[in-house]
Amino acid sequence: MALQRRISNQISTASSEDGMRRRDLLAAGALGLAAAGAPGWARAAGSKPQGKLTWALHVSVPATWLDPADTLGIISPFMILYALHDAMVKPLPGNSRAACLAESWTTSKDNLTHDFVVRDGVHFHNGEPVTAEDVKFSYERYRGAAHELMKKQVASIEALDKRHVRFHMKKAWPDFLTFYSSASGAGWIVPKKYVEKVGDAGFKQHPIGAGPYKFVSFNPGVELVLEAFDGYWRKTPAVKQLVMKVIPDEATRLAALKRGEVDIAYSIRGELADELRKTPGLKLEPVVLQAPNWLYFPEQWDPKSPWHDLRVRQAANFAIDREGMSKALFLGYCKVTNNAVVPYTFEYYWQPPKAVYDPEQAKKLMAEAGHAGGFDAGLMYCDSSYANMAEVSVNNLAAIGISVKLQPIERAGFFAGYTNGRYKRGIIQGASGAFGNAATRMASFVVKGGAYCYGSYPDIDELFPQQAGELDPKKRGAILAKMQQLAHEKAIYVPIWQLGFLNGSGPRVGHASFGDIPGFAYTAPFEDITLKST
Amino acid sequence: MSIQVDAELVAVAGRAPSRPSRRLIRVGDYPVIPLAILATITFVAIFANQLAPHNPEVGILTARFKPPFWVAGGTTEYLLGTDQLGRDVLSRLIFGARISMVVGFTAVIFAGFVGTMLGIISGYLGGWVDQVVMRLTDTWLALPALTFAIFLAAIVGPSMWNIVIILGAVYWTRYARVIRSEVLSLKEREFVRLAIVAGCSKWAIMRRHILPNVINSAIVLGTLMLGVVIVAEASLSFLGVGVPPPQPAWGLMLADGKQGLMVGYWWLTVFPGLCIMLMVLSANLLGDWLRVKLDPQLRQL
Amino acid sequence: MKRYIARRAGYAVLSLFLLSVTIFLFVRLTGDPAALLVEPGAAPGDIAAIHHQFGLDRPLYVQYVLFMWSLFHGELGQSFYYQTPVMGLYLSRLPNSLELASVAMLFSLVIGIPAGILAAVHVGRFWDSAGKLFTLLGLSMPSFWVGLLLILLFSVYLGWLPSSGAGTPWHLIMPAFALGWYFAAAHMRLTRSSMLEVLGSEYIKLARIKGLPQILVIAKHAFKNALIPVMTLAGINLVLMINVAVVVETVFAWPGIGRLLYEGIAFRDFPVVQGCVILGGAMIVIVNLFIDIVYAFVDPRIRLGS
Repeated sequence: MALQRRISNQISTASSEDGMRRRDLLAAGALGLAAAGAPGWARAAGSKPQGKLTWALHVSVPATWLDPADTLGIISPFMILYALHDAMVKPLPGNSRAACLAESWTTSKDNLTHDFVVRDGVHFHNGEPVTAEDVKFSYERYRGAAHELMKKQVASIEALDKRHVRFHMKKAWPDFLTFYSSASGAGWIVPKKYVEKVGDAGFKQHPIGAGPYKFVSFNPGVELVLEAFDGYWRKTPAVKQLVMKVIPDEATRLAALKRGEVDIAYSIRGELADELRKTPGLKLEPVVLQAPNWLYFPEQWDPKSPWHDLRVRQAANFAIDREGMSKALFLGYCKVTNNAVVPYTFEYYWQPPKAVYDPEQAKKLMAEAGHAGGFDAGLMYCDSSYANMAEVSVNNLAAIGISVKLQPIERAGFFAGYTNGRYKRGIIQGASGAFGNAATRMASFVVKGGAYCYGSYPDIDELFPQQAGELDPKKRGAILAKMQQLAHEKAIYVPIWQLGFLNGSGPRVGHASFGDIPGFAYTAPFEDITLKST
Repeated sequence: MSIQVDAELVAVAGRAPSRPSRRLIRVGDYPVIPLAILATITFVAIFANQLAPHNPEVGILTARFKPPFWVAGGTTEYLLGTDQLGRDVLSRLIFGARISMVVGFTAVIFAGFVGTMLGIISGYLGGWVDQVVMRLTDTWLALPALTFAIFLAAIVGPSMWNIVIILGAVYWTRYARVIRSEVLSLKEREFVRLAIVAGCSKWAIMRRHILPNVINSAIVLGTLMLGVVIVAEASLSFLGVGVPPPQPAWGLMLADGKQGLMVGYWWLTVFPGLCIMLMVLSANLLGDWLRVKLDPQLRQL
Repeated sequence: MKRYIARRAGYAVLSLFLLSVTIFLFVRLTGDPAALLVEPGAAPGDIAAIHHQFGLDRPLYVQYVLFMWSLFHGELGQSFYYQTPVMGLYLSRLPNSLELASVAMLFSLVIGIPAGILAAVHVGRFWDSAGKLFTLLGLSMPSFWVGLLLILLFSVYLGWLPSSGAGTPWHLIMPAFALGWYFAAAHMRLTRSSMLEVLGSEYIKLARIKGLPQILVIAKHAFKNALIPVMTLAGINLVLMINVAVVVETVFAWPGIGRLLYEGIAFRDFPVVQGCVILGGAMIVIVNLFIDIVYAFVDPRIRLGS
């Protein structure tokens, strides 16, 4: 495992440099893959996939998740894409930008063209080779999240020959790779000939991809059956058949896991997770999502509001018992990063100092700000599915004299209200699992004009255009770090944590692959999943 | 009057004519037990602030899932145990009584007021007014009450007073139908005709002659609806579209307790449900009794 | 009579039309489905693209006409979330709902009718009181609480029955009971009262005078006549059960149409919501129409009076 990780790291470091050395390393990589079959693995290298594992999914799978072109800006579709399809570049264990169907890529000095080399000898499930034409077709066909943005930046895409593709930018765009590799589905490749033959609807009925598992059958809202693809380039998957059953009810998922009807169950929370942890033979599989939660003070730009005073916002920061909340609600599996809006897995993430829970310090700051007796902060708006967290925050704030009343609103209504500027008074408890990097998060949540901003600070605002035009990643990272640091120092937000996502696996599972890709909620990569050796 | 096809009223329609065999439940001539229960709940609701031992909305995370005091691990500090956020169940039940009472009574009165008015107007004026009100009623009744309420809740957002308005808006049709059919028969009666001959205006007749004669039916219906409305509020809260957390509505407590139920934290499910049941039971018994006392006509419902 | 039926049928169509308009407008007031399909922080262009894909960027009246157009073709449009026809989704859930409703109905009749007869025959005695308690509890305990208590007893403590989901007959027992009790109570009340009515009638008295044994009087004469209103009510209730089971379906994670509709509202999946409401509404309106007509046959005053 470790060896293999190292090798795949090497491959991609090499890939951004030059062509010759890369090929050598690739050969080493192939050897490494064969060797990786050794310790702790149920299957010797080169052996046939065997057995079956069953998933209990917490959400219904719509047909759109079978087609990368329809990928929405949420993480859920990737739970299926990772099995069925493959991307040019995608996050893999230990490398958030690993070369997959692309064996390498280069960016021109002026950042105006990006060249990709398609991996040699990779095939779709129907035996057709993956070619540059397929890459071009898949990109042009893409209509999901961020496609408008990419269209605005990318002038054209050109298939140079069978294995070489070139993207032409309209102007230098440092975020191209972020969007092409992880923040959208544009880099996921479908077979051009097949799609043209069967059409979009036909493709959804029987999708063909280049991923580790091929499509067998799909019954919307019920189950999806997949079978190992022997010709997968990274390695042959260990498990022969995957069945993904939809079980929307949490207690039912746990019961099915206990009875051995399923082997892997997504999203088991609270007391049920505790029960899962206590059940012999079952394993709790916690992961941390790329979804931070925070409290936001929309009144901080109003000089008459108590929130205008930095000390009051800092006091609120000291008042929140993050660890206690995490223990009570998520068995302690949330990650307290103290960065309010940028997940730690994102590019250009800046690590703030550790979060401190100190109600006494909070009270002191309140007194200094002239609110020794506390004040009434009005309402705290939140997405009703996160109301339990907000209830704890309300209690925590009450303990230092800030009284606030909870106003949970259903998800759709809440985010509509948040973006439409309807919650001008009080506190907002927000969350976001959107893809991107530190810059995209800053744009949405901190900088002037952001969809979720109720105000901004000029010193942060003026840094934003500087980083947007900066092509040197180091310099750009420094500017973005500065922005995050300023946001932290001004206590624009009270960061809570990155949400923990608790899952379970049963006794038949060897390696479930939860958490292998940081920030990813589900099992992946599927070819790494194994049965327990007997 | 035709049967109103609607889940709640099936029960009303199916009610037996009263028989003198209620000794089990009623002492003397008054329904003592239901009255006592309702009086207790009202008392608790009014003096919740004085009675509740803890703040119902604030919990201690280290004191989560404490069982009731008579079970091993329970303490007398939390007589009926604590919930998933360490809040005192008893205090939440006490404040929950207030929510149920306020929502139940105001929604019933609101629905009763609108329904009775529209029923009288529609029945007495007839013609296009009647048509409009009755078609509206038909349409309303074609949507199961709870579905309709879920809808409205999704539109206006959750809050206690919104729930009152929603329940009123859903349930006025029940009054309108019953009252209208009574008005239709009252219209043919001697005293109404005399009033017309005497030159009273339509509005005066409706106010002075029709209204006093249907008010009993409205009260009886209102009492019977009280149970229905309380269950509806609890159901909405249970589904997460009713009274918002952290307010201690009984239905919401049941919803919050569902996860714990699977692990055996029974007190989170048993106590709030018991409260709902007692209140609805009392309302039903009282309604039955009132029907017999006040409104012989409705006995045949 | 024909004129009466025609008018009633006209009303039925009219209320369905009003229902379609109501639901069409209401569902659009509940919020933006795009907000649930992207993460907060998504680019505005993505949201606009979703609106365009669902046709939500067109004027309201165009959307409504398209909706009605597909309705007249026996279709209900495409689900926003599943991207499959709503009709297919509805039909895939309907068998579950029918299964639950029929078993609940069977249960309510098997309990309700004998209990009602017993109570009517033993007025004022033990069985009558026991029956009353049973009906009072059935009418006063919210069905979802009954469901939760059943789970507590049979799944958590005894471990006999699965707490949720569908698939085997074992899964059906608890939801059917939770849903059926309320209706069992209603059926018992009606059986009791109509039995009492029949037992008090002249021909039963005559049968008794003839010296027929009590059991025979009840079984042969009274029961048959008393059953008619009960069965009528049961027929109506079956339709209702399908449409009011949402809370019980939620407790037991039963994949019926109540859940489909509820999830539809939660996802802001407009076509699903519209479809479920229109089909459910049509069922209820047709039953109402049927009752009106039956009553008009039975009681001529109704059709002449109105």
